[in-house]
Amino acid sequence: MMQVMGIAPPEIAGLASEYAARGPQELLELAFERFENIAISFSGAEDVALIDMATRIRPGVMVFGLDTGRLHGETYRLFEKVRERYGITLDVLSPDSLAVERLVRDKGLFSFYKDGHTECCSIRKVVPLKRKLATLDAWITGQRKDQSPSTRANIPVLQEDAAFSSAERRLVKLNPLANWSSADVWRYIRDNDVPYNELHAQGFSSIGCEPCTRAVLPNQHEREGRWWWEEATIKECGLHVAPPKAAPRSPRSGR
Amino acid sequence: MTHVTFVKKIKSDGTPCRKCAEVEDRLHSAGLMARIDHTAIADERDPDSEGMKLAAELGIDAAPFFVVTTNGARTVYTSYVKVLKEVLVAPISEAEEAKEILARNDDLDFL
Repeated sequence: MMQVMGIAPPEIAGLASEYAARGPQELLELAFERFENIAISFSGAEDVALIDMATRIRPGVMVFGLDTGRLHGETYRLFEKVRERYGITLDVLSPDSLAVERLVRDKGLFSFYKDGHTECCSIRKVVPLKRKLATLDAWITGQRKDQSPSTRANIPVLQEDAAFSSAERRLVKLNPLANWSSADVWRYIRDNDVPYNELHAQGFSSIGCEPCTRAVLPNQHEREGRWWWEEATIKECGLHVAPPKAAPRSPRSGR
Repeated sequence: MTHVTFVKKIKSDGTPCRKCAEVEDRLHSAGLMARIDHTAIADERDPDSEGMKLAAELGIDAAPFFVVTTNGARTVYTSYVKVLKEVLVAPISEAEEAKEILARNDDLDFL
């Protein structure tokens, strides 16, 4: 029988619900059966577990990482360790140098502390990611529901990528670890002797760029280790009607 | 004939919404503010402010947004990039498009 390639839009919801209860490895098997032109996005953190799983199924799996130019030395070292350990080609993507130079010239090296991380992340991460994804049919991420109750609670294991698909090109996104907890991932890393970022041993849970990442305390949510200075304003776009102020009590109405 | 209304928010503490100010700045710096026919304020302290009434009427729950009326037909745009592309027909930089992607996709916050 001829192998069906790709995943058609009507199949996505059904497969997402079918694979939600299965392990990440089974979803990876499906991914590699259906897609030739597929790659893993590696952040340099505990999503390294995905590379370990994937190389057991497809040894030459394509992997890419985003080098923002602001990563920790520990993260760059992990990139190299992973490259050597798994014998893969790790495609390290850089931002557009002119765009970075313009940002730094106009706003300095730490503009994100003043006006939020969106502009810097857009230039250093999203533009290179968008360029890379435009060359793929599907990508695999390490996103998990437990990473952020406010923004990731509903991510499915499989979805059409609404952010990066275009009218000309449909992109499928697979999140094999969506239903795993951080503890599940770390159990896998220990059991399989997977190399990990040394920063984890220093209290870092979520790892991004050096100026925007900090260690968290025991039982502090990993989300608190990223962009902590903007927590108060991050969700400010909603339109909320302020509760009416209590009318000042008139002396005459007082009891 | 097209009429474009830009709705920006004043937060419940009286300060301007950062994202709205950012979009307004971008409109100014791209020389597009002149093509905005009207700016309405959605003041969270005043449900009767023009922008709050418009948001309620159109079922919009985030700011900024644009209301575009063409020959009596109204279209609401919550995406700045979409307004640029479809209404103002202005060039959009890669960085601008990327910014919009991040702003509209909460789950990308851990990239």
